[in-house]
Amino acid sequence: MSDNTANTVVLGRRRFLVTSSVLAGGMLLGMGELARASAQGPWAPDKAAPREISPWIEITAEDEVIIRVPTPEIGNGAMTQIAMNITEELGCDWAKVSVEFSSMHRNHAEGGVYTRGFLPWFGGHGTSEERMQYNLQLGASARERLRAAAAQRWQVPVTEISAENSVLSHAASGRRASYGELAAAAAGINLLVEPALKPQDQWSFLGKATPAKLHIPAVARGEAVFGIDVKVPGMVHAALQQAPLHGGRLKSHKPEAVLKMPGVRAVVVLDPAQTVGTPVEDKSTWGFSTNQLQHGVAVIADHYWQAKKALEALPCEWEGPEGKAWDNSEEIYAATAALHADDPGKVLRESGDVASVTGGRVVEQSYSTPYGENAMMEPLSGTALVTAEGAEVWCPTQDMVQAYWVTIDETGLAPEKVLMHQTLVGGRFGRGTQADEVRVPVAVARAYPGVPVKTIWSREECFAQGRYRTPLNTRFRAVLGEDGYPQAVTSRVCYTGTHPMFHLNLGYDDMPYFTSGIIPNVHMSASNLPVNIMNGAYRGPCYNSHVFTVETFIDECAVAAGIDPLEYRLHLMSQWDKSWSDCLRVAAEKAGWGQQLPAGEGLGIAISNWPAGAMREAGTVLCTAARVAVSKAGKLSVKQVDVSFDCGRVGNADAVRAQIEGATIFGMNTTLNEELMIENGRAADLNFDRYPMLRMGDDLPQINVHFEALSGHPRMNIIGEAGVGPIAPAIGNAIYQATGKRLRSTPFRKHDLSWS
Amino acid sequence: MTSIKLKVNGAPQQVDVDPDTPLLWVLRDHLGMTGTKFGCGIAQCGACTVHINGAATRSCIIPAASADGLDITTIEGLSENGDHPLQALWYELNVPQCGYCQSGILMAAAGLLASNSNPSDADIDAAVSNICRCGTYPRVRAAIHRAAAALRAGGEA
Repeated sequence: MSDNTANTVVLGRRRFLVTSSVLAGGMLLGMGELARASAQGPWAPDKAAPREISPWIEITAEDEVIIRVPTPEIGNGAMTQIAMNITEELGCDWAKVSVEFSSMHRNHAEGGVYTRGFLPWFGGHGTSEERMQYNLQLGASARERLRAAAAQRWQVPVTEISAENSVLSHAASGRRASYGELAAAAAGINLLVEPALKPQDQWSFLGKATPAKLHIPAVARGEAVFGIDVKVPGMVHAALQQAPLHGGRLKSHKPEAVLKMPGVRAVVVLDPAQTVGTPVEDKSTWGFSTNQLQHGVAVIADHYWQAKKALEALPCEWEGPEGKAWDNSEEIYAATAALHADDPGKVLRESGDVASVTGGRVVEQSYSTPYGENAMMEPLSGTALVTAEGAEVWCPTQDMVQAYWVTIDETGLAPEKVLMHQTLVGGRFGRGTQADEVRVPVAVARAYPGVPVKTIWSREECFAQGRYRTPLNTRFRAVLGEDGYPQAVTSRVCYTGTHPMFHLNLGYDDMPYFTSGIIPNVHMSASNLPVNIMNGAYRGPCYNSHVFTVETFIDECAVAAGIDPLEYRLHLMSQWDKSWSDCLRVAAEKAGWGQQLPAGEGLGIAISNWPAGAMREAGTVLCTAARVAVSKAGKLSVKQVDVSFDCGRVGNADAVRAQIEGATIFGMNTTLNEELMIENGRAADLNFDRYPMLRMGDDLPQINVHFEALSGHPRMNIIGEAGVGPIAPAIGNAIYQATGKRLRSTPFRKHDLSWS
Repeated sequence: MTSIKLKVNGAPQQVDVDPDTPLLWVLRDHLGMTGTKFGCGIAQCGACTVHINGAATRSCIIPAASADGLDITTIEGLSENGDHPLQALWYELNVPQCGYCQSGILMAAAGLLASNSNPSDADIDAAVSNICRCGTYPRVRAAIHRAAAALRAGGEA
């Protein structure tokens, strides 16, 4: 790492050099250290540290173990989990472990040293199998090199050295040394053969310890650096407005009206035509089609409030998108539903011959879910410094590789001239996967070169410029056999959205009902209504809707057949991976399935799998049982939720419990509250006064997370998404039991639940 | 521009600022204290909660002009060494997920405990009406009850 980074130093930064030289003890600094010193955060240096054992692991003389992870911390604990995986084999003292976010610049320079395994840089994947193996191997390799260093120093066979709890010892001679004392020597050792990994049953840390997430102390002291908290010397602030109608353009604006307001430095225009394009082969995760720059304006001022006020005073005239601008929710949802009749659709799954099944009882219904906004608590933001020679970005992305390559694409700079620093992430739930929200601050900073600019979306701008939950409308038709079970199922899902890549079918056609053969005739298809309003990833994309549609429909079939909904599901799962039946039984038993409930109370159950329902011993199966009480006036209270799950094994039981609790509440909000209304072509709900969110006073249920259905299969599948699915149909099915009212759309707050 | 004087975490501060700048942005942008978070700007979410003259208050709608002379405690000043019982329990009970809303929740909870050493669930509901999108509420509640018990047993508020 060398001259290419020196190039990115611009005039305005000379004074930071002084500051950072002082901070770093006067060493000659490269760009990496410059950034690190000038904007302190949890990010790793952009080149090798002198005494690191590997790019992932550095052990200081004081015994601190620094682990550099390529995975953002979005709240699911993936950052901490990766450190735990390495700790298991490294044998270090967990109290000495800290984490930094690895450098994508270094990753590029060193041939992908941080990006191994499936979606390795993606916030959700701390324990995917390939990455687990790689991380365990990193820990084992470091441990063996420490042992070898001790053996060399003490002139004894390496087999006599034990490594435990950050201490190397030689029992026969009583010699001991800390990892820190031997780390520098270990860094110089090359192993001829990589050590074998411990069998899982010999793990002493994973699956046993349940440490809290490593960033919590900083959070609790107010010291955690989220994207919006980044401080770079000389930084100025930008307030942002993009075209109010998605796809619209700026027709005219009058910067002179605000340029003399206090603190205002510039008004810049965002125009997708300014995107330069990557000069080399794109290695981004998702490409660039979902993160194009939108037309907009930004006001740059000394302080954010000055920028925001000037933006509000800036006269702007916008013109609509080319092509149809959709006007309101009703119009959009009606056109989506019309696809059931009008569109041939694309066949997703076909078995047997549904047309051959005639007679029998028919259950036919449609289900729908609306637009929603990710509503992460940290508004979108990013900080960037762009010059002709280089760019440096600080951002709370969910995908570091994507953010890095979007910066390259926006600026046209060579990858080696781009530095990117990962901050903590204040939620996102999918909103930070595509890096459109990284492209914007880069574009703003490019228009104001040589000065670091932090661009902050107002909450209203976040809502207006969301990449919303994909609305969908699904129709099912089942013909029941004499035994009450479906002989044929025909179904069509109609999605609404600009970006079909988010139209995931997980939780829909991959459900074992349709794949296991228990229903002999199946025909499932999908259609899409393209609209100008942009959709995106919202925690468990589309899965969070499909589970509602499938599991409400199955419940309706059970009712039509006169069979208990639990028994009905157990029968339909009887030819499939036992894990599903185990989860159903555990959740039902814990919830008290079958007991007599007072009038107005009901118990509902639902099950699904993220992200591998069609495979045995794969993904995370999760079953939710919900108990509700509905007053005669229609007031709903979710009293108790029991969740069982099988992700194979768990690495940190309390972390898994926390994720399932949180996903349950997240899914409850989706189910009960969330509908982002579109009016006059744009989001009508722009802040939390109109977009209700569950709070502690909202009669939240007791949530019990049960581990008894865990199969012990060696996978440790991801856990963050599965829980947002079954909660909706579990509550809906419980409401049916309580009131006889069947809810076929969300949010439930818009339904009259009164009964007599 | 107006000049206001504040006491923040015990230290006197003087800030030259546009008079309608919300206290939140005075803290974050002018004083560089970013522990207090921007969430909504309309006092809905509580991420910006600080203590003003001892009471938990949402700082995003308080203009600088009316903040002159106030005694403010932010998350950075909640305790000397990050050892308020709530802060310790936040780690022990693995309360935060992403963590962004948590300084506001901690300040709301600390404000409650300062005046009520044995809060009921209803007291917590009323005092901690912050939004947490990650859904950490069950652990927040458990930690507040545990902290209250610790304080009653002789810890310091």
